Amino acid sequence: MNAKTFAILSALLLFMLIVNRIREQKMTFKFSLVWLVFSASVVFFAVFDGLLAHLAKLAGFELPSNFIFFLFLVLSVLINLSLTLYINEQTTRTESLTQDQGILRLKIEQLQKKLDDLKR
Amino acid sequence: MKLKKILIIIPAYNEEKALPRLIAELKALPLPLDLLVVNDGSKDNTAEAARQAGAWVADLPCNLGIGGAMQTGFKYAWQEGYDVAAQVDGDGQHNPEDLLKVLEPVLREKLDLSIGSRFLSDKGGFKSTFTRRLGISFFSTLLSALTGLPVSDPTSGFRAVSKKLAGRFAEYYPVDFPEPEAIMIAHRTGSKIGEVPVSMRKRLGGISSIRYWKTVYYMLKVTLAILIDRLKKKG
Repeated sequence: MNAKTFAILSALLLFMLIVNRIREQKMTFKFSLVWLVFSASVVFFAVFDGLLAHLAKLAGFELPSNFIFFLFLVLSVLINLSLTLYINEQTTRTESLTQDQGILRLKIEQLQKKLDDLKR
Repeated sequence: MKLKKILIIIPAYNEEKALPRLIAELKALPLPLDLLVVNDGSKDNTAEAARQAGAWVADLPCNLGIGGAMQTGFKYAWQEGYDVAAQVDGDGQHNPEDLLKVLEPVLREKLDLSIGSRFLSDKGGFKSTFTRRLGISFFSTLLSALTGLPVSDPTSGFRAVSKKLAGRFAEYYPVDFPEPEAIMIAHRTGSKIGEVPVSMRKRLGGISSIRYWKTVYYMLKVTLAILIDRLKKKG
């Protein structure tokens, strides 16, 4: 098997994996989008590998493989960063919900007490 | 003068032993205070002990840490329109007898943030580990340099804040080791900050959350947080 077919096959595998997750409703469109685009572009560049070599030259890379490594690294860092930001936002929201739940329970308790006092 | 509404926020994590006495002492003070224990996801009967002693309890379903617990209190104070909100730690280290001294400058609208300091009274009485004292003097120097105010006890949690500042803290309050960073926030938002002398007692129960080499980690983290706070927009 040559590298080209291997790249296409693994990208297709990733693509199918994600589509399956979506079908099982384990992944929403919002979160699958970046991975779908990623696997689609791997297939695209594996088929049109001449284009990739050309782009690598334009960017100043001697070897297309180095260019690919570079792109993957940049992509990984970006995805990591966006996930960190996302987790940060979720943590802030959970904290806020936790606090509000505590306060709301207290307010219910206070209302209940007022009600009991009125009944007496 | 209209009577001011005062809320005492007592953050508590596993403090069923210390709370009843603390709450009884606070209730005996000659000032109408509302007591709010924020039960920070304790594993013991903190909430029940506090209710039976006669305090209101905000029960958090999971542990948020002291910062998250305090912010809960500030949110409640803001929503219910309290004029002053004060923090008294649930472990009983803060002496209720000194609470009025801490509250007074805020009640008189002289300060927005009044901090009870262990180092201003000549009674002394506060003994701590060497690293702990080193950390306190480090933050004292750093915060005094950054704010231009003498801050002798930056890690003290025995404090009172004005309505305005409680509203600020309801929006954002630091998470892990919030006390020194909160001073920076107060300074950044144009609050009047000052200290009053207090004495501290031995904790009535529980264990300190800051020990051993964790002090080093704590110091680095809080220093960074304080410096990062300087990057934030004013006001």
